[in-house]
Amino acid sequence: MNERGPVAVPTAEGEAKEDETREDKAREDRVKGGGTRGDEAREDRVKGGGTREDEAAKGADATPQPPATSSPRSDSADPVKALLHRHRALCERAVDPLEIAARLEAHGMTDRTAARFRHRDVFSLAEELYARVPRVEETRTPEREVAGAPDALTGWTVLALLPGALCAVTLGGAYLTEGRPRLVTAAVGAVAVLLGLRASLHRGPSHARRTRPTGSAGTATCWLLAYALCGDGLLGAALDGGPDGPWPLATASVLALALAWAPATWCAGLFAVRARRGLAASRSLGEFADFVRPLLLGVSAVFLSALAALLALCGAVLHEPVAHAGAGSLGALLFLARLLIAHGCPRLPAAVLNSAATFEAAALATVLIGRLPGCSILTVPVETAVGAWGPGAVPALACGPAALGLLIHATRTLTRATVHTTPLGTP
Amino acid sequence: MGDAHVRIGLITEGGYPYASGDAGLRCDRLVRGLGQHEFDVYALSRSERQEDEGWVRLPPQVNRVRTAPLWTAVDDGVRHGRRTRRRFAEAYGELAAAICAAAGGPVAPPVAREGEDDFGDSGLSGLSGLSGVSGVSGVSGVSRVAGVSSVSSVSGVVGARGIEADRFGNALYALADLARDEGGLVGALRSEAAVRALERACRAPGAASAAGSARVPDLLTVAAHLERSLRPLSLDWYGDDGLGSVDVCHAADGGAAALPGLLARHFSGVPLLVTEDRVPLRTHYLEAAGSTPVRALLASLHARLTAEVYRQAACVTAGDAHVRRWQERCGANHAGLRTVRPGVRPSRSAAPADLADPYTLVRVGRIEAAEDLDCLLRAFAEIHGTEPRARLRVIGPLDEGPDGAAWIEDCETVAGKFFPAGPGETEGVRADGGRPVSFEVIGAVCGAPGLVEAYAAGAVVVLPSVAEDVPGNLVEAMFRGRATVSPDVGAVAEVVGDTGLVVPPHEPMALADACLALLRDPERRARLGAAARARALELFTVEQNTAAFHDIYMEIISRAPVRRPFVDEAGEPLPFAVPAEAHVPWRWAQQPQSVELVPTPKSGRTGEAVR
Repeated sequence: MNERGPVAVPTAEGEAKEDETREDKAREDRVKGGGTRGDEAREDRVKGGGTREDEAAKGADATPQPPATSSPRSDSADPVKALLHRHRALCERAVDPLEIAARLEAHGMTDRTAARFRHRDVFSLAEELYARVPRVEETRTPEREVAGAPDALTGWTVLALLPGALCAVTLGGAYLTEGRPRLVTAAVGAVAVLLGLRASLHRGPSHARRTRPTGSAGTATCWLLAYALCGDGLLGAALDGGPDGPWPLATASVLALALAWAPATWCAGLFAVRARRGLAASRSLGEFADFVRPLLLGVSAVFLSALAALLALCGAVLHEPVAHAGAGSLGALLFLARLLIAHGCPRLPAAVLNSAATFEAAALATVLIGRLPGCSILTVPVETAVGAWGPGAVPALACGPAALGLLIHATRTLTRATVHTTPLGTP
Repeated sequence: MGDAHVRIGLITEGGYPYASGDAGLRCDRLVRGLGQHEFDVYALSRSERQEDEGWVRLPPQVNRVRTAPLWTAVDDGVRHGRRTRRRFAEAYGELAAAICAAAGGPVAPPVAREGEDDFGDSGLSGLSGLSGVSGVSGVSGVSRVAGVSSVSSVSGVVGARGIEADRFGNALYALADLARDEGGLVGALRSEAAVRALERACRAPGAASAAGSARVPDLLTVAAHLERSLRPLSLDWYGDDGLGSVDVCHAADGGAAALPGLLARHFSGVPLLVTEDRVPLRTHYLEAAGSTPVRALLASLHARLTAEVYRQAACVTAGDAHVRRWQERCGANHAGLRTVRPGVRPSRSAAPADLADPYTLVRVGRIEAAEDLDCLLRAFAEIHGTEPRARLRVIGPLDEGPDGAAWIEDCETVAGKFFPAGPGETEGVRADGGRPVSFEVIGAVCGAPGLVEAYAAGAVVVLPSVAEDVPGNLVEAMFRGRATVSPDVGAVAEVVGDTGLVVPPHEPMALADACLALLRDPERRARLGAAARARALELFTVEQNTAAFHDIYMEIISRAPVRRPFVDEAGEPLPFAVPAEAHVPWRWAQQPQSVELVPTPKSGRTGEAVR
């Protein structure tokens, strides 16, 4: 112990340069110990304050010749070549010399080892390796697009049929019952449809992943649907001075809208998947936008034709006239709003839904207020519109321009790459 | 000097006040060891779980603790107007251009910016024994030449790198200013405008080729990472009631913690001290994943950020020479670099009791790779063949407890290949029979009682071949006075010095021979153990660590004091409260002996000359 004391002191600080270099040399010997460097080692030991322990350690390391996994042949003209062969993949993949240095160090390379490759330190060795190995463009693995697809397909595609099915069952029940049970059935059915819609909203592509759905948008949607069910009849009755007793309900439109939830969800899913695939494949943001714009228009067109077909079908089955313009524009509005909210742009859709609901409520209100003395002028616009195009004109005027506005907004926002990424924080 | 009172802003990332922080113990010892100073702790938390686990007990010298999450960022909902949007796009574009610029990399040598009171240059130059004045003038001379006209190629390169570094720094500070003035930076960083600016920078002429091949998903990944990295810009820590009021910012572990310190220096001129026991940049390289453009851009981002931190820091400390080499490589200024060895445990530990079983090898630490275990067992098979009484105890993993049973099972399976549990193998080995290799899990961190006993129980301690900066296991074994056999990775050779055997990594024969040599020679074992303990007591005690930081605080305060206006009780500025000499960023008199400025803030004066 006592004779060891003074030996340890010079290495204690490790701050002065000279000490460090000397220490390095001593260490290098101790580490390597291979037969090739025997002479130099002895020399260093003499001048570098090496100790008996060093010597012993060296002896211990040196006796067997380890399988030369990392020692290059010293007579070779190019000692780096073997190293280069061994770490070729690492070097080809590296983005700068420091990465090679970091990975070499993780493999156990130190400055002492680097000295055997005739380099001052690991950094300069890494620089040589980086310069000598050509970079390889790695083949891209399409890992993004498949993520999340398998489990999604089973759940939400079936769940999307739920609102339509519930609505059909409710209508069937209401058709078969009379009086009070009919009312109960209708009320329970309405709640069930809304719950089914809600359940479907929380799964699949319509689920708003990035932002919490705004409450006002939900209320506005409920109001718009309620108006689609009974608004036209109520407005017509009100214009005729009523309503005197129950007015006709547009069950076919609502059934078609509920059934259209399934194609809407499927279209949204198709849009999301195709857009993400396009994202992975596109080289620039402009290219991506050019890819998404026709996709969005195409998906909207597919949905609209599906909705039109459903409207016609429901009208035929229920023997009921169908307001194609009103229900169609409402369906388009809801589809686009949901698409935008699901992709994290909830502000404008919520505002547009609110304004459409307000428009419809205002149309009803003006007709009712117009009955007050002196306010008859208020009913003129609604009367004119209904006179020209029928009661379906109000929802068509409320939702049509709104849907068009949302479509224009969507072609600008949904073509951004940022809305198609998974939110930050979740993989 | 001992009673000077410094207010230190300790910035930690996922560390100190949280109970589960990995660097927590180190900071706790530092804070407790420096009771004469005041600490304001600014902590960035890494995960929600960490926040839920609560804090450690804080000593009275901790004035206040402010925390902020780094794992999430809440958009404050501020929508920028047209002018602010343009301002953001300009700053972000500059930042992106600096990141994408070709042939950058972190190899830029430290270049002093002119016309600035460069604490790093003039301040600590005396510390490392260099002639501070000549060093400073030499460096700034180069930059002056380069700034005026890049005539020679060398100065041209240096100048270009300096400009590049300036560009990154300026863009960073522009974003920080924007966040402070207007808010809403989180939303802006996530916006399409940011991605578009990044794309423009990648396609610009002069961008690196890897950046040029970035596709849209790459751009999105990089933009998201940038947003995460720049979250400290949106913090409200930099006011006069926050980091602006401290005397020194101490970023306790580089990486993300250094950024708030950098901004405090930018906003309030508070000198920055950066401590790194491991190299964050190296960790980043090892963990980087993704396509080539992503890795290239992120590497560039981190390298530039690191370089800017080193450039602005008044002092950068490294845990060992290995870290120091990386810091120098990444542009840290020689003059402001110091090595402060981590304090692993208090020196009052009892002298090692001689409990050792003379034939037991103890190997402590998690086994990272299968080849590591393979190498160890191969070596031990060799030892066991020569010395049948030898036994091996493998102890781990130390950090994550829950998978301990699975870990043991895995290891047993591998060990079964080397030492089949047949009767022929076990006879004559031990009275109780069984395999000569045993695996144990001792949970918790270094210093758990079971672990200390485990170290003491072995005659020789074998270290894992995992590149670790200042391996705690090794130092612990040295404190226990045990002879060690360690593979030559990372800072091992520097830590162990002459007091243990160092073998090439991944070479079982060398390992076996070193162990055998020690097993056969008890006297040498004892001598090495005693020397190791003496070395550990000299280098790795908490006291030396605390004292070193105390000195650095004093040094920084004296060289680079924060210049705040002195006001009287009524809030009126006090003229002549600070002597004119205090504003001189360098020493006028070039004397062979250094003159130290010692602050005595309590008495109202900023400093006095003491020889």
